[in-house]
Amino acid sequence: MDKKYGVYICTGCGIGDALNIDALCATAKKARKEAKTHPFLCGKDGVEMLKKDIADGVNTLVIAGCSRRVNFDIFRFDGCIVDRVNLREQVVWSHPKDDPSAEIKNTQMLAEDYLRMGMVRVEKVTLPEPYKLENFTRKILVIGGGITGISAALDAAKVGYDVTIVEKGDKLGGYAAKVRKQLPVGQPYTSLMNPVVADKIREVESISNITVRTGTMVARIAGQPGDFTVTLKKPGEAIEFDVPFPLPPEMKVDADGKELDKDKLNEAYQEFNKGKNDILTLDPNGEKFGAVILAAGWRPYQPQEGEFAHLGYGAIADVVTNHEFEQIAAKGKIVRPSDGKEVQSVVFVQSPGGLDDDRDFDYTGSVTSLVALKQAKYVREDNADGKAYIIYQHMKTPGLQELFYKSLQQDPGIFMTKGQVAQVSQSGSELVVEASNTLLGENIKIKADMVVLGTGMVPATVDDPVINLAYRQGPGFRDNAIFNGYADSNFICFPYETQRTGVYAAGCIRRGLTIEESMEDASGAALKAIQCLESANRGVAVHPRSGDMTFPDFFFQRCTQCKRCTEECPFGALDDDEKGTPKPNPTRCRRCGTCMGACPERIIGFADYNIDSIGSMVKAIEVPSTDDYDEPPLRILGLVCENDAYPAIDVAGLNRLQFSADVRFIPVRCLGSVNVIWIKEALSKGMDGVFCLGCKHGDDYQCHFVKGSELASIRMRKIGEALASLALEVERVAQFEIAIDEYDKVPLIINDFVKLIEDIGPNPLKGF
Amino acid sequence: MSDAYLVQPDMEFIKDVAALGGGDLKKCFQCATCSVVCPISPDTRPFPRKEMIATSWGLKDKLVGNADIWLCHNCGDCSTKCPRGAKPGDVLSALRAYTVAEYAVPKALGKAVNDPKKLPFLMAIPATIFLVIILLAPFLTPVFAHIIPIMFHEGHEAAGVIAHSNFIPSGFVDMVMVPTFLWAVAIFALGLKRFIADIHANALLEGKTDKKTIDPVEFGKALLRVLPTILKHDKFNQCTDNRERSTAHMMVLFGFIGLFIVTSIFFVVMYVFGITGPYSQLNPVKWLANISGVALIIGSALMIKNRLAKKDSVSVYKDWALLGLALGLGVTGLLTEMTRLGGMAWLTYLLYYIHLIFIFCLFAYLPFSKLAHLVYRTVAMTYAEYGNRK
Repeated sequence: MDKKYGVYICTGCGIGDALNIDALCATAKKARKEAKTHPFLCGKDGVEMLKKDIADGVNTLVIAGCSRRVNFDIFRFDGCIVDRVNLREQVVWSHPKDDPSAEIKNTQMLAEDYLRMGMVRVEKVTLPEPYKLENFTRKILVIGGGITGISAALDAAKVGYDVTIVEKGDKLGGYAAKVRKQLPVGQPYTSLMNPVVADKIREVESISNITVRTGTMVARIAGQPGDFTVTLKKPGEAIEFDVPFPLPPEMKVDADGKELDKDKLNEAYQEFNKGKNDILTLDPNGEKFGAVILAAGWRPYQPQEGEFAHLGYGAIADVVTNHEFEQIAAKGKIVRPSDGKEVQSVVFVQSPGGLDDDRDFDYTGSVTSLVALKQAKYVREDNADGKAYIIYQHMKTPGLQELFYKSLQQDPGIFMTKGQVAQVSQSGSELVVEASNTLLGENIKIKADMVVLGTGMVPATVDDPVINLAYRQGPGFRDNAIFNGYADSNFICFPYETQRTGVYAAGCIRRGLTIEESMEDASGAALKAIQCLESANRGVAVHPRSGDMTFPDFFFQRCTQCKRCTEECPFGALDDDEKGTPKPNPTRCRRCGTCMGACPERIIGFADYNIDSIGSMVKAIEVPSTDDYDEPPLRILGLVCENDAYPAIDVAGLNRLQFSADVRFIPVRCLGSVNVIWIKEALSKGMDGVFCLGCKHGDDYQCHFVKGSELASIRMRKIGEALASLALEVERVAQFEIAIDEYDKVPLIINDFVKLIEDIGPNPLKGF
Repeated sequence: MSDAYLVQPDMEFIKDVAALGGGDLKKCFQCATCSVVCPISPDTRPFPRKEMIATSWGLKDKLVGNADIWLCHNCGDCSTKCPRGAKPGDVLSALRAYTVAEYAVPKALGKAVNDPKKLPFLMAIPATIFLVIILLAPFLTPVFAHIIPIMFHEGHEAAGVIAHSNFIPSGFVDMVMVPTFLWAVAIFALGLKRFIADIHANALLEGKTDKKTIDPVEFGKALLRVLPTILKHDKFNQCTDNRERSTAHMMVLFGFIGLFIVTSIFFVVMYVFGITGPYSQLNPVKWLANISGVALIIGSALMIKNRLAKKDSVSVYKDWALLGLALGLGVTGLLTEMTRLGGMAWLTYLLYYIHLIFIFCLFAYLPFSKLAHLVYRTVAMTYAEYGNRK
């Protein structure tokens, strides 16, 4: 497209009062662009002016005014490239008005730099065109035929999608069909009910666009959202389309512990996966699906031998897990495993920590508390004189399930206390439970017929990848250990979204849930799967950059097959062939740009976000030197994550918090997309320091793209070494963490870094 | 953990306490707001949080012999502040009622006193006794006057004065009332013997006292130290929520004390000095009687009004029975006097008859009713003072 530029400067919101607008217009003029000003650009009159210019042929607009995070709908002009220069939040609201008599007009220089950066950016970017799949299918695959899978299938089918449920077992229903009673799913939440799953199964059978495949499992899922090729098989079968597994780390080294070379590795890999087709070989008989809902559920936790010796599990027959108790209860009146006596009193132990700590059993959650309440109710239902004791460290009854807890509290035969269970022992035909630090104020002993341990629900993904993705990074989710094996990518911000685009987790594979919660979860995952389909078909990103039309473009001629992009992509979007050339799968991609940041050859970029566009912005920053001033002000580059850090800076401005005017921010999609070349360019043109500002990383990461800020921190460490070799201080490059709500930290972080650079002194490369 | 306490919940106990006005006890989730807001709970081992869980676990042995439940004056601050509506104040009140019934023998009578269905039967006892006396008096009086003349030298008939002893000779009344009173004292004595032993044992177990044994002399001294607190209603006045009750309660208490003094004086006057009533209205003892009667009526009426107005606390039979008795005593007493002065002979006799029934109920059922708190709370407060509760 032939670009016709227009620069528009809004003088409202205090911009006109704080800045020399004529000088700003002159800056535009120097870049051979005509600037227009308006006192209220986002108002009707201002927008009319923009629309008129667009009608007259302007298609590339630089709008200098408020942050791009506001009025984004007003300044969106389809078919036009628009850049928003943030003069309001990040210039006039966060910096003092220049003193007219001062030699150095810091705020004005800041505004002019930002305008230059915006103008150069629009020169370097192009309008994105969506990536369209050649084959696209709307069908949804549901893995798991329990209550979650059934509910998800029903939800998706009812809004018109074809759904296939794949169930490993021989019938639908899962655990929800094996319980005596289930927790309430509606008002008044006070009594147990018969399992709802039977009705749901009948409903599935009555709906024509749901296909049920029992006794079936997924051998592999190849391809990408909108165009998955799925091979199904019978459990236990070995077929050529079973998914290949990556080499375990111990097989990647030779006998001496030295890393194998590329060919040897490939050889070992082939040997390791003998009889299985490579991931890039598509099953010609595979079924096509557009999105996957993973509802593979859980298995009951089976304590290891001697694991809970102090609780008598394994040694005393009448000490059972909650799962074993449920099985006894489902058969009829609750009887003791040891002698078949009908139980009179049962103690439910919710935390195994003994006297040492207050942790609950592994893989538990609020559902475990609720199950204990439910099973206590069984004891009371079976026997009018029955007594049920619950000793817990945490009693979790979220939401309206609190009403169920309250109703059970009212039962005179149910006794609850927080406490540490120290020991369970046998005394004659009875069990004696000893507990301390109870609410009763002392150490207590309870005699009971049975003891039930509130053990957890182990997600299926702990034992097995389940989804069996034919992805180069492996068949399952990566680094799932930080989620304790649950299939998730971020517990709080992005439920249902796994680390693999197009695969949405729901139910107990995500965390321990009640039947009610599982059904709600299923709706969430079904909606996500639909969102995925309805984005992939238009060639736009699903999440978190929903609607983004760009996708990474590779200049393959210069690819050195280093595999870094394939390995570092947090979402496994790239599969490399045997030579190591990456094969992009654009609908798997979340457009974070981590590949762009990783690529040492800088051959990856997006239409509106690439090495050149950001590099040119860096170059557009004017770095004053001793030629201009006796004491030239510092220039520091801040590469800020647009998800959390950039909004935090905006909010700091909104709150009129002030920080140094020596810093120039460039928003980036994710710190993972930061290519070190930008930092090198900044330093080599004389900027005094560079920092990255992004999300927290580590086990409790807040990165929208899982690994971006972590990867950036590794790269920053490495660049430090390179700087040292150039005789530049490693401290000139830093990375800071910030959360979106920590706007008050913005001035501290920035000013402290500026102070640090001041102390180090100006960049010796300045002026060369 | 050999010293661990063996938990043996008593579900019947839970149900009984619930029926006595503690129906919300199981709602407690142990946040301890009650213990924090209670203005009179001690700083160490405060109540009623621990009593709440012990009750919901049916741990009768930890509660019935626990002096702490008597240190509570039922201000109700805990109940209004309770986030779960468990009404600790009412639970403690129910526990006290349960305790009273537990220490008073025969237990069957204790049960009956707390059972509204048994009320007609309990009232029928004195009604029958006095009816029999009324019917037999004309025949028996000469006989008894001959045997024990000191109790039967009346003789107002000639003067044509309305005197209740003409209707029921005072000698017969006292032949009923004095043993009834002594019966109450005896039952209290029996109950207290166990009660004191139990609260002491409980205090030792829970480490609430530094005393090993009970020294009667020191205990008596502690009682003397505690009495002003009780009479001045110091504890009541610490309540924030239900403070107006203090005045009403004080009126009832002083009403009862006044009437007890009056009765004692006239008893001596009649049987020692042989001066029979009716006594002059100018007599200062009579003044005290009238003032006490009015205080009793106003006090009990105010308490009834308070209870009716209070929606966040429970009022059950045990509460209404006691207030009804107090009001009934006052009203029938004063009306009896007024009708006598007004010359309405048969009406005053009828009211006197009813009044006697109330008095009998007061004495005979005292150790079993809520009014027993008069004794138990005094003893418990004395014990707390004596044992340096900590």
